[in-house]
Amino acid sequence: MIDTTTKRADGHGLEVTARSGRSGKALDKMITFGAVIVLFAVFSITAKNFFTMRSILTLALQTSTTTLMGIGVTFAIITGGIDLSIGSVIALSGTVAVMSAIAGVPIWISMLIGLLVGVACGLANGLLITRLKLPPFIATLGMMMVARGIALTITNANAWPAPESFGALGNNTIFRIGSQFPGISYPVLIMIAVAFIFHFILKRTRIGRYTYAVGSNEEAARLSGIKVHRVKIVNYVFCALLAGLVGIILASRMVTSQPNSAIGYELNAIAAAVIGGKSLMGGVGTVGGTVIGSFIIGILTVGLTMQGANYFMQQIVIGLVVIGAVAFDQLRSRK
Amino acid sequence: MAQNIFIGKEPMKWGFILDEGKMNRDAKELLAKLHISIDPTLIMKSLPLSKQQMVEVAKALSYDSEILIMDEPTSALSEAEIDELFKVIHNLRDQGVGIIYISHRLEELKHIVDRVTVFRDGQHISTDPYASITLDEVVNRMVGRSLEHTFPARSSIPLDTKILEVKHVRRAGVLKDISFDLYKGEILGIAGLMGAGRTELARAVFGADTRDGGEILLSRKKLQISSPTDAIRAGIAYLPEDRKRDGLAVKMLLSENVSMANVDEVCGPVGIISSAKERRASERFIRDLAIKTPSIYQVVNNLSGGNQQKVVVAKWLFRNSKVLLFDEPTRGIDVGAKIAIHELIDVLAREGVGIIMISSELPEILGMTDRILVLHEGRLEATLVTRHTTQEEILNYAAGLAGKTEAGSVGLPKTTAAQGTHT
Repeated sequence: MIDTTTKRADGHGLEVTARSGRSGKALDKMITFGAVIVLFAVFSITAKNFFTMRSILTLALQTSTTTLMGIGVTFAIITGGIDLSIGSVIALSGTVAVMSAIAGVPIWISMLIGLLVGVACGLANGLLITRLKLPPFIATLGMMMVARGIALTITNANAWPAPESFGALGNNTIFRIGSQFPGISYPVLIMIAVAFIFHFILKRTRIGRYTYAVGSNEEAARLSGIKVHRVKIVNYVFCALLAGLVGIILASRMVTSQPNSAIGYELNAIAAAVIGGKSLMGGVGTVGGTVIGSFIIGILTVGLTMQGANYFMQQIVIGLVVIGAVAFDQLRSRK
Repeated sequence: MAQNIFIGKEPMKWGFILDEGKMNRDAKELLAKLHISIDPTLIMKSLPLSKQQMVEVAKALSYDSEILIMDEPTSALSEAEIDELFKVIHNLRDQGVGIIYISHRLEELKHIVDRVTVFRDGQHISTDPYASITLDEVVNRMVGRSLEHTFPARSSIPLDTKILEVKHVRRAGVLKDISFDLYKGEILGIAGLMGAGRTELARAVFGADTRDGGEILLSRKKLQISSPTDAIRAGIAYLPEDRKRDGLAVKMLLSENVSMANVDEVCGPVGIISSAKERRASERFIRDLAIKTPSIYQVVNNLSGGNQQKVVVAKWLFRNSKVLLFDEPTRGIDVGAKIAIHELIDVLAREGVGIIMISSELPEILGMTDRILVLHEGRLEATLVTRHTTQEEILNYAAGLAGKTEAGSVGLPKTTAAQGTHT
């Protein structure tokens, strides 16, 4: 509070310089995309079997969940918020879907129910943030615990097996050609479709434009007649909807209810969005950037595993990449 | 507040424990030098902007600086406070402190400066002893061309049709039963001291703040305004005092800011934005308002203050607004752009838009408006016809000295007003 008042008193007439327009952003994206290529090349040379069709498809499958979550949280981040409940919402919607299927609900309807549970969580987050004016960090922290608790309660903390056909979405592939080509997994196709749809929503639709406007300057957006609350609620719903989708994919892949799954996944999603967008301050971020961010994390994970680095080592490297990406951006914009 | 003054150099006991007592005593002493008595334990936010500014000055003094750079220090201060500040500045000068004083209020210069340096477009233009240069010369150098009129000759004529009627607007502690009318093509000024409720009045009409009562009619139709969305839909627009804070998304592109209040207009069916429509809209306003920008894809932050203001105007023209509420339209804008904004306001009035203009600069109010509402402590003190009034009369009402006479209040304005009453 003290900080804002001082800023107001002496910030008058302050000239802020920033990199200009589209070209700066395009350059940023080129650099991040270049990093993906370089990483890919490095692992292709150093790790045996990295550059094979099978491992590339594995990479895509593994990255699909981070990408889907990351796209969702990108919407929350652009409005200047955050969503910490993603991991728990994944567990909750997955378990609800599985439990419905076990109870005899047709598979696709039970999956739809899972998605709706996700939407409900997002709606609750959005209402807490806008109506009760809770900081997003706190509202979604609470939701993280509540959703996890519900998931554990309804399953009695057990992993219940789902009907076999529940596993189709997570485990089947398309375009399989005998033994030469293992086919593309459904989650990968879903990831591609979601990335295109949400990219379009963010860049070309009214709600996407409002999302950036609210994130850039909430008061200016309000004074321009934008219904800021509604925009924020929609954003948290988008985020939770994609978390619900991931929940169903994961439950389907395991063919069980997993109330303890996805703990801490939101942090991977946020890391992906940050590597892609470089900011949590609002007004900044793109779907494309987040996809690239997820793939950087994915390539590092798969590549390092193939090189024999253990999980702890991977964590260290990914952490350094998050810090490095933002630090590099800071240094560049200081010029 | 004391914490603000001493931030980064707090007095310590034994090297690590904050000595709050000493901090507050020192703060008081510093403020006494400035002839202000504020309790140093108050929270900054609870102080009016003007007091915050004084604390800021006190903070600068606490460094025992040899050079003090002041950037528009008076922009938020009242006349009395400005006098105090000038006394302090003189004191400091006499103690041998060098002061760089940045200001766009040229009238101030005669009180404080010894030498004047003019910059234009990032270039040093001239430095002269104040005594050897006239204000006109300073202005000419700032603009780079010679200015015949400080204000444009008004070409707009207020019509007889009421466009906006505000009746008994109240807000506890801020606005006390204010009623006024605005005519088509009229420029109505709102004058008053800092804290008189000018911005609050505009925001109440616009629905940005809640009201405790009162009616607003547009073209004789009663409006239900409970949010800016309602006001905007009816055709009322508010152009805030602090553009960067309230008016623009500075990280976004010019084109995106222009369409921000009217995204529907650039949307095709089902809410998909047509970039072609958006581009055409921005190009139209860049041309009509002579916005200086390399392209419509420029980030607004990189535009000058005057051009940013034009972007805000474009945003509301794109919405076909019938009433524009300008809050300090030329604050923080250089002289050349000021004239452009003034001309623009006149053109808008000529096209039948009703304009309300809040300004702290009386020459601007006198030079631009047809009638003037003078507020004092949330009350409408007088409604004056611009060409029959003077700075002194406005100030008297603004200071609450003139009592509650209705002497100045007159009905319909009939004529073009005001060749600016210049200082």
